[in-house]
Amino acid sequence: MLKLLGASLIILAGTLCGMQLGGYLAHRPLQIRQLRTGLTLLETEIVYGSRSLSEALASISRRVGGEAARLFSQAAELLATEQEWSASECWHCAVHRIWPGTALKEPEKDVMLQLGFILGQSDREDQQKHIRLALANLEHEEACARDSQQRYEKMCRSLGVLSGVLLVILLY
Amino acid sequence: MGYDVNAIFQIAGIGIIVAMIHTVLKQSGKDDWAQWVTLIGFIIVLFMVASFINDLFQEIKRVFLFQ
Amino acid sequence: MDIIQIVGLGIVATVLSLVVKEQKPMFAFVLATVTGVIIFLFLIGKISDVIRVLEGIAMQANVNIVYLDTILKIIGIAYIAEFGAQVTRDAGQGAIASKIELAGKILILVLAIPILSVIVETIVQLLPS
Repeated sequence: MLKLLGASLIILAGTLCGMQLGGYLAHRPLQIRQLRTGLTLLETEIVYGSRSLSEALASISRRVGGEAARLFSQAAELLATEQEWSASECWHCAVHRIWPGTALKEPEKDVMLQLGFILGQSDREDQQKHIRLALANLEHEEACARDSQQRYEKMCRSLGVLSGVLLVILLY
Repeated sequence: MGYDVNAIFQIAGIGIIVAMIHTVLKQSGKDDWAQWVTLIGFIIVLFMVASFINDLFQEIKRVFLFQ
Repeated sequence: MDIIQIVGLGIVATVLSLVVKEQKPMFAFVLATVTGVIIFLFLIGKISDVIRVLEGIAMQANVNIVYLDTILKIIGIAYIAEFGAQVTRDAGQGAIASKIELAGKILILVLAIPILSVIVETIVQLLPS
């Protein structure tokens, strides 16, 4: 009886692991799309708006929603509270803080960090150009992420279940 | 039914599961991982079988009076 | 009934072996081998009892114990050789199977030679020269 319980627990654990890994692969394109939406809104704010960076980022985070919104809200908070830090430092700090909680990977992080260097530093056209560049890179990453997801999501889930069953049989 | 009849079911189960993992990995394109998993599964099974055959030969030696 | 258990086990193992054979023939071969081993290990208890009885009878009949030992060893060699040959033949390696059988025959002959020479000496002694 206890053996049966332990066996079903192991199989459940394996299945959940597989589903979690598959979930990461599935969420990545969605979150990249959220980042792109946020950056497009930021570009609009910088070119046409006249609010301070902190307010702009806060309103963007409210409109974007999802995991990526946390990046914008964290950056807005840091800009508002930490007076000695520059905009790029706040941006980088926000990126480093929220990144582990997302399904995003290194290439996107590099793009966002690059963007952070020019934020609030130069004039409107220059910042707009850089944001457009970041958007193009993110679009490419999103295509790669969708490709990965298609190929590996089902595989991860099946592998999770099968490994669970294999462990049960080995430990029988 | 002395001994460990479950060993038969264990080996059959491992065989089927390893075959399924092999197919899943091959369909996702990771052919070399598939080969590795099959090989490792076979080595594990081989360990079990080797210990069984060792027991068998020990028993035969004992019963048929080989010193 | 023991025979029913053994036959049941054999049938189940055969079915499993057929299922696995089309995916991974290696595992099917291993499965058949292990089934044979397990069935034999189950019987070993009974064989042991029979041999003890034979030993008792032999001691009562004042037969030299060496003869019984030799016979039992020959039976043991014969069984192991047949097991190995059948298993390798199952896997398709007929050549290896024949060599194993040959080895078994030669080893049995080696064990039997002392007894044969004793018989020949006895007969020669009985003959009036």
